[in-house]
Amino acid sequence: MCVEPAVIYLRYAKRHLCRAHLIEDIEQRVLSTVENKKLISTGDRIAVALSGGKDSTALLILLCRLLPALKDVSLVAITIDEGITSYREDTVHSAEDLTRRLGIEHHCISFTEQFGDPLDDLLKGRESQACSICGILRKKALNIGAHRVGATKLATGHNLDDEAQSVLMNVLRGDLPRLVRNSGNDSQSAFIQRIKPLAYISEKEIATYLILNDAWKNLPECPYTRYALRREVRTMLTTLEYRYPGTMLRLMESKRKIEYYCAGSMVCEPIRGCRECGDPCSGDICQVCLLRRSLGL
Amino acid sequence: MKIILPDQSIQTLDRGSTPVENVLSDLGINSLEVIVSRNGKLVSEDTVVGADDEIRIIRIAHGG
Ligand SMILES: [Zn+2]
Ligand SMILES: [Zn+2]
Repeated sequence: MCVEPAVIYLRYAKRHLCRAHLIEDIEQRVLSTVENKKLISTGDRIAVALSGGKDSTALLILLCRLLPALKDVSLVAITIDEGITSYREDTVHSAEDLTRRLGIEHHCISFTEQFGDPLDDLLKGRESQACSICGILRKKALNIGAHRVGATKLATGHNLDDEAQSVLMNVLRGDLPRLVRNSGNDSQSAFIQRIKPLAYISEKEIATYLILNDAWKNLPECPYTRYALRREVRTMLTTLEYRYPGTMLRLMESKRKIEYYCAGSMVCEPIRGCRECGDPCSGDICQVCLLRRSLGL
Repeated sequence: MKIILPDQSIQTLDRGSTPVENVLSDLGINSLEVIVSRNGKLVSEDTVVGADDEIRIIRIAHGG
């Protein structure tokens, strides 16, 4: 029995943890996720999508610490500067500080360099679609970056809250293909495999981990989130999680079961090459090329 | 007790010893969305805080 004061009470597990035990617990759970889901293999060069915000900061710190337990694995950080005024500058600086401190190779790619304009300009008059447009372009930029640095996998900082929100959002939109396509199935495409080592760590645990490691920064929130369905789903799910602890984990379990029962069936369109750019996609033309057309890029 | 809210404003709460969770619910805050420290040290939501304590509430921003 530990006698140190608790820094967190994990409602879903009914556990109190002190500083040292919380750090150990989170690192152990991330390692278990990596091992059980075989996210990382010997010889992998992992590109970490480092926005500089809290989740990707925690991800990079955690992977650095777990490196000795992973055989012959190297890390490289990639930051995408979408061009969002009074938001991205701070997080890009934070990403630069962190990689310098950890001694990790760091590359930055901007929307301006890749798509001709910063996101703020691309979005004029389409602010309500901000998150989906930004998401499509960021994914493309990350893939370009990951190829450029010779990475074998791309790790993102999606946490339990993000993942549970995505499950619910895909259900609310009636988008079964996306619900089952999101996770491991990505590996079948020609895109670099994406891994989410923090998928079972809650937002609160991540924030606490950062504070305990002196890596917490008060950063601004993306100005475009106010347009997003995700924001409403987030509030709703956090309320449900508070009243019914374990709700988010149970949503993940629902997703796992749906994936299991859908395996082998043709829920997703077969993957083909985009008619314009050759990237893997499920229709004739990939989302990036569709977007390039509608934005006139 | 002295409460430092996420926006840095300060509020004095006239309350005896009570768990952090009650302080938060009085303020209409879900404990999953914030981190709380007492006199500079992180505390769990069921920690009982007293009249002489300084409580800081930090909001967890989304994203990242
Ligand atoms: Zn302990
Ligand atoms: Zn294309």
